[in-house]
Amino acid sequence: MKTLYLLIPLAPLFGAILAGLFGKFIGRAGSHVVTVLGVAISFVLSVIVWKDVQAGHTFNGSVYTWLETGGLTLEVGFLIDRLTVMMMLVVTFVSLMVHIYTIGYMADDPGYQRFFSYISLFTFSMLMLVMSNNFVQLFFGWEAVGLVSYLLIGFWYTRPTAIYANLKAFLVNRVGDFGFLLGIGLIAAYAGSLDYATVFAKRNELAAITETVTGWPLITAICICLFIGAMGKSAQVPLHVWLPDSMEGPTPISALIHAATMVTAGIFMVTRMSPLFELSDTALSFVLVIGSITALFMGFLGIIQNDIKRVVAYSTLSQLGYMTVALGVSAYSVAVFHLMTHAFFKALLFLGAGSVIMGCHHNQDIRYMGGLKKYMPITWITSLLGSLALIGFPFLSGFYSKDSIIEAVHASHIAGSGFAYFAVVAGVFITAFYSFRMYFLVFHGNERYDQAPPDPHHAAHDDAHHADAHDTSHAKGHDDHHEDHGGKPHESPWVVTLPLVLLAIPSVLIGFFTITPMLFGDWFGGAVVIDAVKHPAMAHMAKDFHGASAMAIHGMMTLPFFLAISGVALSWFFYIKRPDIPAAILKAAKPIHTLLENKYYFDKFNEVVFAAGARVIGHGLWKVGDQVLIDGVMVNGTARAVGWVASVVRLFQSGRVFQYAFGMIFGVFALLTLWFNRA
Amino acid sequence: MLNNFVMPDLYPAAPEIFLLCMSFLVLFVDLIFGATHRGLAALLTVVTLLGCAAITIVTADGHTALTFSNMFVDDLLADFLKLVTYLAVIVVLVYSRQYLADRGLDRGEFYLLVLYATLGMMVMISAANFVTIYLGLELLSLSLYALVAIDRNASRATEAAMKYFVLGAMASGLLLYGMSMIYGATGSLEIGGVAQAMHHGQSDKTILVFGLVFLVAGVAFKLGLVPFHMWIPDVYHGAPTAVTLLIGSAPKLAAFAMTLRLLVYGLFGLADDWQKMLLLMAVLSIGLGNLAAIAQTNIKRMLAYSTISHMGFMILGLMSGVVGGVVDPFTAVNAYSSALYYTVAYVLMSLGAFGMVLLLSRAGYEAENLDDFRGLNQRSPWFAAVMLVIMFSMAGIPFFVGFFAKFAVLLAAIKAGYTVVAVVAVMFSLVGAFYYLRVVKLMYFDAPVDSAPITAPMDMRILLSINGVAVAAFGLFPDALMSLCTTTLLRSL
Amino acid sequence: MELKTILFYLFAVIMVFAALRVVTARNPVHAVLFLVLAFFNAAGLWMLLQAEFLSIMLVMVYVGAVMVLFLFVVMMLDINIEQMRKGFWTHLPLGAGVGLLMVAEMAVVLSGRYFGLQNFPPQNLPANHSNTKELARVMFTDYVYPFELASVILLVAVIAAVMLTQRTRKDTKGMHPNDQIAVKRNDRLRIVRMVSEPPEVQAVDAKAEEKS
Repeated sequence: MKTLYLLIPLAPLFGAILAGLFGKFIGRAGSHVVTVLGVAISFVLSVIVWKDVQAGHTFNGSVYTWLETGGLTLEVGFLIDRLTVMMMLVVTFVSLMVHIYTIGYMADDPGYQRFFSYISLFTFSMLMLVMSNNFVQLFFGWEAVGLVSYLLIGFWYTRPTAIYANLKAFLVNRVGDFGFLLGIGLIAAYAGSLDYATVFAKRNELAAITETVTGWPLITAICICLFIGAMGKSAQVPLHVWLPDSMEGPTPISALIHAATMVTAGIFMVTRMSPLFELSDTALSFVLVIGSITALFMGFLGIIQNDIKRVVAYSTLSQLGYMTVALGVSAYSVAVFHLMTHAFFKALLFLGAGSVIMGCHHNQDIRYMGGLKKYMPITWITSLLGSLALIGFPFLSGFYSKDSIIEAVHASHIAGSGFAYFAVVAGVFITAFYSFRMYFLVFHGNERYDQAPPDPHHAAHDDAHHADAHDTSHAKGHDDHHEDHGGKPHESPWVVTLPLVLLAIPSVLIGFFTITPMLFGDWFGGAVVIDAVKHPAMAHMAKDFHGASAMAIHGMMTLPFFLAISGVALSWFFYIKRPDIPAAILKAAKPIHTLLENKYYFDKFNEVVFAAGARVIGHGLWKVGDQVLIDGVMVNGTARAVGWVASVVRLFQSGRVFQYAFGMIFGVFALLTLWFNRA
Repeated sequence: MLNNFVMPDLYPAAPEIFLLCMSFLVLFVDLIFGATHRGLAALLTVVTLLGCAAITIVTADGHTALTFSNMFVDDLLADFLKLVTYLAVIVVLVYSRQYLADRGLDRGEFYLLVLYATLGMMVMISAANFVTIYLGLELLSLSLYALVAIDRNASRATEAAMKYFVLGAMASGLLLYGMSMIYGATGSLEIGGVAQAMHHGQSDKTILVFGLVFLVAGVAFKLGLVPFHMWIPDVYHGAPTAVTLLIGSAPKLAAFAMTLRLLVYGLFGLADDWQKMLLLMAVLSIGLGNLAAIAQTNIKRMLAYSTISHMGFMILGLMSGVVGGVVDPFTAVNAYSSALYYTVAYVLMSLGAFGMVLLLSRAGYEAENLDDFRGLNQRSPWFAAVMLVIMFSMAGIPFFVGFFAKFAVLLAAIKAGYTVVAVVAVMFSLVGAFYYLRVVKLMYFDAPVDSAPITAPMDMRILLSINGVAVAAFGLFPDALMSLCTTTLLRSL
Repeated sequence: MELKTILFYLFAVIMVFAALRVVTARNPVHAVLFLVLAFFNAAGLWMLLQAEFLSIMLVMVYVGAVMVLFLFVVMMLDINIEQMRKGFWTHLPLGAGVGLLMVAEMAVVLSGRYFGLQNFPPQNLPANHSNTKELARVMFTDYVYPFELASVILLVAVIAAVMLTQRTRKDTKGMHPNDQIAVKRNDRLRIVRMVSEPPEVQAVDAKAEEKS
């Protein structure tokens, strides 16, 4: 079994190496074959491992001791339990779908092999992250997925916006990582180990310690530090600003990395650390408040977006907020449950969006779509299913997870849960509104694809894109749908639609079949620890649960359902029935719109306060630090020191033996004199 | 009087005896066939070394055996170091074959002297007595002096040999003087006896420390620590590159063994004193080595200064064994094994670096200037990558063997409370990274000044590739070698 | 003061004086001769220490063989002693200063009280005790390993000496067909690819030359 565990992450790594280093030799087809095969292998093996874990064989041990340095052991180890195996399945399945989809989506891109290599590398990193049994490997995976994400956001590196976006993602994530590293450092310092099991075994001792510097309880400091890491990776307010911009990357990675898997790493990590988080109510409240702010306010922003991918991106932010809220009320299993269902339907929505973009000749503005239903039937139906799942339509998977979150918040008494309840319930309405706004604008109504103005942004993209394509001169056959801008939309090839269909199935069904075992059965076993006395939300919910169908039927009579339905109805009224109303509202509520347009001025704020502040500090540092200290003392100083040493050395390294001999004698003399009095 | 003579046990010394016998064979074979079959001596030498390796492996049983009236010790440390030495010497022979042939230096004497130098190293590695340490050192040094001058028409080489000889003789004198002082104080020449006498506290500390100063000076000369380093740049630069390759690699293992046997096995009671002496020299070496290397334009000189700094780093491990006068076996083994690891890692990198210089040299052309590495990537991407790996490793960039070597010794130093020293060492190695990376920059970003194709024979190319890969592989899997070093020392101390 | 003590100081004083003269003598032949004197006195000291064999060997080997050889070499080579001694006086203060300080330190340490020589009293050996035989016994039993090593060192010295000095005469007129055949084109000729100079530059140059 151990070999199997090892093989799961290594198969995609191998594919990544082959495609990345030998991409030229094995060609485009070779690259996608090896990477798809690698991911397929790890998906199949994950299924096998899942069966094995179902039979009760969990595993926790090291595979390879990398380095042992007095006390701390750095090793590669796997912790295979139910939480891990669920994540493995989600990651490998979505990744496999995205791999297949990419064959179609990137068909005419000159960086084909590079792209496959990156996404396979991402799969490897993500698997290392979820399978880890220690903090070092977790951090390795954490940074590795961040790196790949950075590389992929800037995949089209000739576009200045892409470079700006990946720089932003990089910097914002550094803030999170700093907190994360601090948390790990605190754990290493106080627990003396970086192994999960050892640390968790000491959790009661840790809870008793007060951190010396801040005077906080240590455990709160650790949890908040770790959660800051999660905020960066899972894009929680105020570290969310990078995620919408990350849409500059190709759509498949938006689906894989920035919706389904990487951004949920924070959720996964907090769930993994549930034994620690359970000990600190302060940290949980912090998590809860951050989550609810994200869930509500990021939803508002989705309403005014016109870029199809950005709409989905804001909905991802909002959904990540939901998951974080679930964590805050100690409903870890609900958070992970929503993580899973969200991975499927959000990947579906992104891939659907990608399919639409392809169909519309790389136009991303929903104002210039409309009526695509009849041109792209498969994309239409799968997107509809995805949207319904997202808004929580009963019996669909999103309903179960989202309703469970709302229920859990309702049942919780932790500080901040009142606001959180309002946020998540209001969020339902907003989600429904912006989801179906997009849906109606894209698939229904008048056909507006021929009104698209030449957009400099996309033109730039296509120019760069084309220049590359023509350079490599092997994209002739695929290139046709770029050439006829403004032509009729068309359905995408089967490699694109197949993943849509395959993702639609779990989006619809998985919630119904797994809610009972995952939330109320003992699915997660020891992986999730909840202090049932202090945080009774889950227990409370279990009491009221009477099976999946009953929940769905009951769900049709609750407030969230009506909110969702009214959201859909309102969007229908606004965008199909009376398209003139939104414009009127826009005029009436100009300030609000401006506020939203500017994304609550987060970017502005960052630019003015952090960036400018950083520039001021940077300027100061440059003046004092760089010019005086570094340039003056260190660089020039080093250079001077080198010059000085070199001259001194040259003086002694004269090539004359007697000077060398004298040097030696002098050395002996010096030692003798120094030790003369010691003896 | 003679009837109480017992025949010494020759079994532990089997590799040495085999090598000596084979050297006579090489001598005669070269005498008879030398003119007609030029490669024969080289082949026999390699066979000899392989035979030694086989014997060492077969006779290694992990036990410590003393023989020749307790003058010779065969323990796991000796076996390990000897095996690495054979390997290094074989690599040296393969790398230098073409170079020597191009310059008409591939005469039998070269191989004989290499064999005797190897014998000298083996004697040093297995020495359990001051006399044997000294004789082994002399055997090694004498062979090296002659080897440096092997190209007797090159004035630079003969001058270097002369300097090496004079300074080496002086260093031997210092060492011998120190030994005689310690003999005077303890009444024993045996390393074990010295340790015992000191343990019983019957010897005068003044004399001991006095002798120690000279002993440390002698050792420092062999290692090339500041201020006993001055021979290194001149000799490395002046000697034919093939000989530089030899001097820069295997003898470091012997020097490490000598240091360990003398200071740790013998004078452990004075650890507090010699640790401080080494500390002083380590800091000076790291500082001077790194700063002076930057100013060099000749790569052999640059690597010579880098050797000085590397040996300074190695010493950081050796001087961290005893903390505050308290002997903790765990700390001690940890520290000494980090130094052993550093030495082995350094030998591996040094072989690769000088091997690259040999690779680029050809008949009538010495590729010994930094400029000769310009644009190597365009001439041979693979070997540019090999050099890149070696340079990165020497600079201590993570995930190459050199990083873990530095990491291990720095950790040992920090554990021993030398935090400031460790910080200073890291600062200087950052400065040092400059000149390693400069080579990389020249290889990848500059246009080649020399466009001749690389004409090295296949065996050298393969071995050099393996060498480069090994530097990377030991960095990815550092634990194997590191635990080997720890086990070796654990069972030999 | 008994005779042995008087002899010891006599030998010692002469030896130190002779050794000093070895380094200070202007004439190298004198220096060698002073070295011979120093060796004789050292032999006398060893004799006082009852090391008869070693003492006689010192005289025979060093004085009789090594130094005579030295003398020949020094006489045959035309060494410009003034050239060699250049800079002697400029470096003397520093060298002498460090040297004297070191001697002082060594003298303090080695002044006898630390050695504990009373722990190693001289053995009173019978008159017929054979120093030579005792040495031989130790050398070929206990010290057989260093003895062998020393022989290997001598072998290396022989090889090195032969290698460094034996050379074929350069002025022989014989040909070496082997070498002649083995010459490769690349040894003699290297074709360098260069950009030919553009003609207009030449023209400009020509004009410039005309002007000047």
